[in-house]
Amino acid sequence: MADQEMTLLEQLEKESRAKQAKFIGGIAEKLGRKDIAQKPQHPFRGAPDFWTQLNWTQEEKIERFMDNWQSVGGHAARFQTMEEAKQFIVDRANELGAQNLIRQNQPELNELGLEEALPATDIRVWNSDPEEYWKAQAAGADIGVAVVDHAIAYTGTITVWSSPDKGRSVTLLPTVMMAIIPVERLKTRMGEVMEKIDGMRRDDLPAGIHFITGPSRSSDIENDLTIGVHGPGIVYALIVG
Amino acid sequence: MSHGQQAGTVKERSHIALNNEFLRKAVKFTTERLRNGKKKATDEHGNWEEWRERGRQIRLHTIAHLDYYLNQFVENARANGVHVHFAADGKEAVELSMKIAASKQARSVVKSKSMVSEELHINAALEKMGIEAVETDLGEYIIQLAGETPSHIIIPAIHKNRYQIAELLSKEAGETLPADTSILAGFVRRKLREKFLDAEIGMTGCNFAIAETGSMVLFENEGNARMVSTVPKTQITLMGMERIIPTFADLEVMATLLPRSATGQKLTVYMSAISGPKRDADADGPEEMHIIIVDNGRSLQLGDPEFQELLNCIRCGACLNACPVYRHIGGHAYGGTYSGPIGAVLTPALQSNVAEWDDIANASSLCGACYEACPVKIPLHDMLVYLRNRKVEKGYGQTAEKIGMKGFAAIMSNSKRMRSVIKMGQIGQKLVARQGMIKTKIGPLKGWNSVRHLPSLPNQSFRERWGTLEQEVQASNPKMSDEVRQRMEQALEQRKNGGRHHG
Repeated sequence: MADQEMTLLEQLEKESRAKQAKFIGGIAEKLGRKDIAQKPQHPFRGAPDFWTQLNWTQEEKIERFMDNWQSVGGHAARFQTMEEAKQFIVDRANELGAQNLIRQNQPELNELGLEEALPATDIRVWNSDPEEYWKAQAAGADIGVAVVDHAIAYTGTITVWSSPDKGRSVTLLPTVMMAIIPVERLKTRMGEVMEKIDGMRRDDLPAGIHFITGPSRSSDIENDLTIGVHGPGIVYALIVG
Repeated sequence: MSHGQQAGTVKERSHIALNNEFLRKAVKFTTERLRNGKKKATDEHGNWEEWRERGRQIRLHTIAHLDYYLNQFVENARANGVHVHFAADGKEAVELSMKIAASKQARSVVKSKSMVSEELHINAALEKMGIEAVETDLGEYIIQLAGETPSHIIIPAIHKNRYQIAELLSKEAGETLPADTSILAGFVRRKLREKFLDAEIGMTGCNFAIAETGSMVLFENEGNARMVSTVPKTQITLMGMERIIPTFADLEVMATLLPRSATGQKLTVYMSAISGPKRDADADGPEEMHIIIVDNGRSLQLGDPEFQELLNCIRCGACLNACPVYRHIGGHAYGGTYSGPIGAVLTPALQSNVAEWDDIANASSLCGACYEACPVKIPLHDMLVYLRNRKVEKGYGQTAEKIGMKGFAAIMSNSKRMRSVIKMGQIGQKLVARQGMIKTKIGPLKGWNSVRHLPSLPNQSFRERWGTLEQEVQASNPKMSDEVRQRMEQALEQRKNGGRHHG
């Protein structure tokens, strides 16, 4: 980073700290307080009580998730084993004639052996080489494969959390996204995922937490639904277990 | 600070809209689609009133303790590695953005949809510095090419048809593109991919900011906000100071209310929570992240009992879709950054100068549909009345109206005066009344008679007829049966003795 830039950031930081007291003090004053409020009682935290009691059975969760995912234009399938899921990915990749595939650097995917099963496809593993420009690799990929961190049945949503081994680009830039959902990560409500995030230590908090509910879409031209505007237009949710 | 006010009155601007047949149909179609979508989604979800109430409680609580929660957010965002800045007004926010952009020697900025950035007119400022500013939301990109402003908070290019869009995009492509939605969208996808990869800076708005974790949250369907917050090296987020909620648990409530109210979706395709720049070992995400917290008139509503709840707004647009006035005149007639019922209240409320208050507060039927639609129960129709009140109190009412009201009071408070005025009217109208109607547009009758006709005064007024009317009523009443009369008399007797009575 250039020296000049550093000084600007330092200078802005100084200004920000100086301004903070005035800015937030002004808010306190408008609210009729002399000093900034102490931690208030927080009686209405999160969803209403009746909602937090909702918990579906595993079969119900799977069925509702698949319905929701399909109703917004996604494809969903269910498998008993990872081996079956792998075969599905291999078949689709061959069918689509995928030349480039990028996948997260996750243990489940390392064990899958996609590389051997798709010898004609150039398969890259996210952030496996520090010299590589990984965003461009993801942008050039036909298919991105990831194992999700959680899924939510009620809304038909998957969540993917960023880390050195899990790029945000892998679920965003390729034309096709394939998301593997280990069945024990499938929850009924969003609140179950939120609880986990609220309970995290700062050091563990991922920089990017993404909730994805189907293919990228827009209705901006004459209300006409268009799929795949910026993000992947073809999305597969593969429930395993 | 101007809020993008356009010239002319609401009436003049709405005439442009009313004359544009396509716009009217498009607005009607879109608002109905969104409104029906909302109804279906909320019915299916169930217990909607309980959710609304919970949403209101969370927003009320946060705003009532905004000093605490904003401070908490700032400290936590800093701990995540974010550079936090404060801007008292639009000018300061623009200056801060420009300083950051200049230090990065940026040539290009990609932007995802942000109403705050519309408030600040940041694109014009960037372009003045020779920096290209590219809107990347499909609708925003289209209206940027057309050099226009958004007409709907959720569907900004609601007023353009596919042929107009094809023409705009063809110019950009350097070849003729057919007016086919998927081809047009495909062109934009390719074109903007290049822009995302070229840009030094990504600029976003902020739907919610979470105090306990210092995260900012974006809701979107296209993926462009994810692009803007993933690809460029520097991210600048413009955030209204009231966007705060305490925890992720509270985000579940907002995520339940916002998409269902906006488009009828269970959840937008993408909901992203960004907590600081990329971690050292991450291979994507911004290396440097700035959040500019913007006041720009918002604090004027704090501590104001009539308008503080405006800060609860979650920018879903449901009030626009519910509003009979919006459906007829469209967004541009409102003349500010925000349109519809929320815009009618918010635009003047964000300005401190009463004299600049627009006449838009009068373009409302006060039917309350906006309140019914609002997922956090902001009483917008009441606020419109307060706004009219204040305008009159501060002396910005119409002089003619004031004189008229005084005269009316003088006449009505005296029966002799009333009688003679009616008599004068009955004689005077003989010049202009034809077949029971007055159609002339002279003097004070112009406004009324240009869209409808005034019925003439009857030859005999109600007051004049009262004497004979009373006799007629008496005579036509059938005689009361003895039994009923007895009961009535008894009841009357009881009341005299202090018995219970209704009401």
